[in-house]
Formats: sequence, structure tokens, C-alpha cells
Amino acid sequence: MSELGLIAELLVNGVLFGAMYGVAAIGLSLIFGTMGIIFLAQGAMIVLGGYAAYWAFRLLDVDPYVMLFLLLPVSLLVGSAMYQLLFRRAAAMQDKNTSLLIAVGLSFMLESAMSLVWTPDPRSITTSYTSSSVHFLGMNWSITRTAGFFVAIASALSVTQFLRRTMIGKAVRATSEDMTSAALVGIAPHRVNMIAFAIGIALAGIAGCTLAATYTIDPYFGFLLSLKALIALALGGLGHVGGALAGGVLLGLIESGSSYVFPGWGDAFGYAAFLLVLMFRPQGLFVRTVTKA
Amino acid sequence: MANPPLLEVRGLSAGYGDSQVLWEVSLSVPRGSLVAIVGANGAGKSTLLKTVSGLVRPTAGDIVFDGRSIAGMAPQQIVAAGLSHVPEGRGLFTRMTVLENLQLGAYPTQVRARMNESLERIFELFPRLAERRNQRAGLMSGGEQQMLAIGRAVMACPKLLILDEPSMGLAPLIVDEVFRFVKKLHATGVTIVLVEQNIQSALRLADRAYVLKTGRVVMQGSGAELLANEEIHKAYIGSLG
Repeated sequence: MSELGLIAELLVNGVLFGAMYGVAAIGLSLIFGTMGIIFLAQGAMIVLGGYAAYWAFRLLDVDPYVMLFLLLPVSLLVGSAMYQLLFRRAAAMQDKNTSLLIAVGLSFMLESAMSLVWTPDPRSITTSYTSSSVHFLGMNWSITRTAGFFVAIASALSVTQFLRRTMIGKAVRATSEDMTSAALVGIAPHRVNMIAFAIGIALAGIAGCTLAATYTIDPYFGFLLSLKALIALALGGLGHVGGALAGGVLLGLIESGSSYVFPGWGDAFGYAAFLLVLMFRPQGLFVRTVTKA
Repeated sequence: MANPPLLEVRGLSAGYGDSQVLWEVSLSVPRGSLVAIVGANGAGKSTLLKTVSGLVRPTAGDIVFDGRSIAGMAPQQIVAAGLSHVPEGRGLFTRMTVLENLQLGAYPTQVRARMNESLERIFELFPRLAERRNQRAGLMSGGEQQMLAIGRAVMACPKLLILDEPSMGLAPLIVDEVFRFVKKLHATGVTIVLVEQNIQSALRLADRAYVLKTGRVVMQGSGAELLANEEIHKAYIGSLG
């Protein structure tokens, strides 16, 4: 393959993988907007979703993309239950550190539990189509990566529609902007927190399924994923679904692009971009600044 | 009195952490009245309203609204009971549209079914909100934002509407317009508590007024009485008024 074709393919793969960061970032953004914490266990929840897909495939022969739809209602329920059990009391407190520490503790607990259940060895799902690809526009498009990208777009669109069209979605947006005013129009904070949290966990489940269908996973991959989602969020800007997705795609591009020029330096460039954006454009790259009148 | 007041505040004390702001404040708001609460900056007016609407927890005393105690209830429960608070600074959702802000005003389940009726009512009272319904709230002028904030509170079909400094930061002509709007609303039967630094305008509108000073009620009477009061003139309105 030509040098140019190789670069193009690398960049495309960066975009496709970055969309998964974007899905994780949308979840972080929703949870941050309502509960005011960076949910650092998001990555561990993604990996857990990946292991659920892995088990469904190995034990019950369920295709990971079928599992995605099965996991959706389950993860919404799990997310609601997690909010009620773990965060309800801490979320009512003025001091957000307690919630943050619960998230960190949860992340480590999940890592240990997953390494006990599934061992620290990397696992992967090998279906008949896992390594196949389609030749299109002079490039090879991996089926699973491309599918992951479209799942990400569909997730972002669904969340956007939910936030725009439903009353509870509007309540989530209102709470993200101004918690006090939201309470004054009659929005109960716990309900909105729980719904945003449940959607965040559902997005983790979705990202986990597409991740496990494409790559190998191990129990300790989660924390890195949380960081990547946080970087994507910083690039895209808080509080905008489209921005979070775009931030993820951009991070994927930075990582794959820089690892082509400087092999092995992908992560370093990702973190550098994170710092540069926070230093020079802390509101994110894709946010139009609105001055409050 | 044959009719019990819609809102009665009895010996209310409240504050933030260790600093007490309100000292045994008592006041009463009859049904259908417009009551003004006036006083200088830092007199505790906003804290009083925040305590009534549930944003600040009272440390002593009681708040009886429509026959039951609401002291210590959560803000969303108080809105659902029929008491809407338009906070200082308006508290709009600036990134959302005018229509979305109004829709969220009808969030409590009891009033949500009446959302379309309420919307029509507000668009009738204030046609400019209808024209701007798809505009982002943050991009409107100050006066329009204040109308929207009041309109959003009215969407909850409140029995009592409490307004914190609706004239703040507005040009005099716009202030007149806001007060006309408040008067119109009052005429439709909504009981109103109005907190103002613009004391003359507030006293002219009010049936009854309370003067707050360092967290205590220091004077009360009808709007006209206080307007004619020598002390009030000296302290708050000034010789030019």
C-alpha cells in the first residue's frame, strides 16, 4: 500500500476509535452537569460492559451487537440502582469530594473484582467477521471499527434528541446550567441526577460492547479510558453532546496521527493536547462562547 | 379577620452557616394582595425570600402557606404547593430557548397538563415572548429576560408569586414596563410579594409594605402610609424624590 494510503487508513482508524472516547465523554458530561463530579469509574464501567459482552458471547453465543441492545435496558437499571445506593446521599452534600471519592473507590473495586472473575489476561471476542474489512474508497474499512463509529453517532443523536425533546431531558439541561433555578421551577435534583447517571452508565455499556467487539480488553484498561474520556471532554467543551463526540474523534486523530510520526508517542500527544486546551481554551474547542446578558 | 392570610411568616430566623441574617421576622400576606418588602442593600430581603421558597433552611420560626407549614420543605415541593419565586438575577436557563424556559416553568406534575393553556395566557399577557419563542433566552434584552423569568414562574399557576428585584439593572423606561406587567398579573388574581430597592415604585403598587433593616422588620403599613412617611423619605428615597 502507498504511504499516503497508509496515512489515510491510520487517520480513519483514529476517527473510528475516537468516536468511542466520544461516547464515554458524553456520559461524563451528563454526570458532571448534574452531579458536579468527574465520574472516574466511567472507564471501569465500560470495561465491565465489555466483559458482559465477552461472557454473553463465550457462554451463550450472543453476538456483541445483539448484546448491545440487551445491555441497554440492563445498564439503565444498573445505573439507576447505583445512583440510589452509592451516590444519593453524597450527591445531596455541598462538598462534591465525597461523591468523587466514591467514584474512585468504585473504579478500583471494579478493577479488582474483574481481575478476580476474568483474570488479568486480555480477552477478546472473535466472531466470523472480527478481522474482516470492506474495501471502499481505496481503503480497508474494518467492519467492527466502522460499526463502532456508527453506534457512537447513533448514541450521540439519541442523547441529543432526548435532551431536546423530552421534559425530563430539558430538566437535565436546565440543571446542568443552573441548579438553584432548576429547583425553583420544581425540578427534583435526585430524579434528574439519577436519570443522567443511568444514561451515563448505559453509554458505558454501549461503548463497552463496541470496544470488546473490536479490541482486546483487560481489567485495568478502565482508568486509562476514563482519562481519555476526560481529555475528549476537555477538547470538546462541557455540556454539549456534539462537542464531546467531536472531542473524542479529535483525540483519536491526535493519537493515531502522532503515533505514525513518532511511534509510541500517541498517548503523550493526547495528554499534551489536553494541557494545551486547558491552558489556552478552557471552554473547549467547539463551544461558541455566549456572554451572559 | 375572616379570611386567613395566604402566607404567614412567624418569628422567622435564618442565615448562612454561623452568620444569622434574619431575626424573628413576622409578616402576613392576605389573599389577592400585593405586598412590598423594601429596605437597603443587605437588609435581608433576598434571604427572606430564599427561606420562604426553601433555598435557605430556617433556624427558628414558621412559614405557613395556604394553611400548612412549608418551613424546611424542599424548593420543588414548595413550587408544587403553589408558591413561585423569581430570584434576583432572574435565574433563566440562558442556553435554552424562550419556549423551553416557559415549558420548564410548568414542570410540576400538577400543572403540566395545563401547559398549553398557561403558554397561551403568557403569550397574551406578553406578546413579545411569543415572537421570540425560539430565541435563546440569554440573547434577549434585560427587560425581556425579566418578563420571561416572571412568565416562567407564572407557568406553574402559582397562588403566590414572589419577585426579587425585578427592576434590577434595567433602564427606567423598561422598569415602568416591568411594573405594568406585574400590575397586570396582579389584576388577574395572583397574590404577589415584591422585593424592591426601587422603593417609590414598589410602595405605589403595594397594598401593604414592610421595611426590613439588618434582618428585622422595623416598620409596616399600607403602601400609601409608608410613602408619606417622613423617615422613609429621609432614609430610602432622598430629598430629590
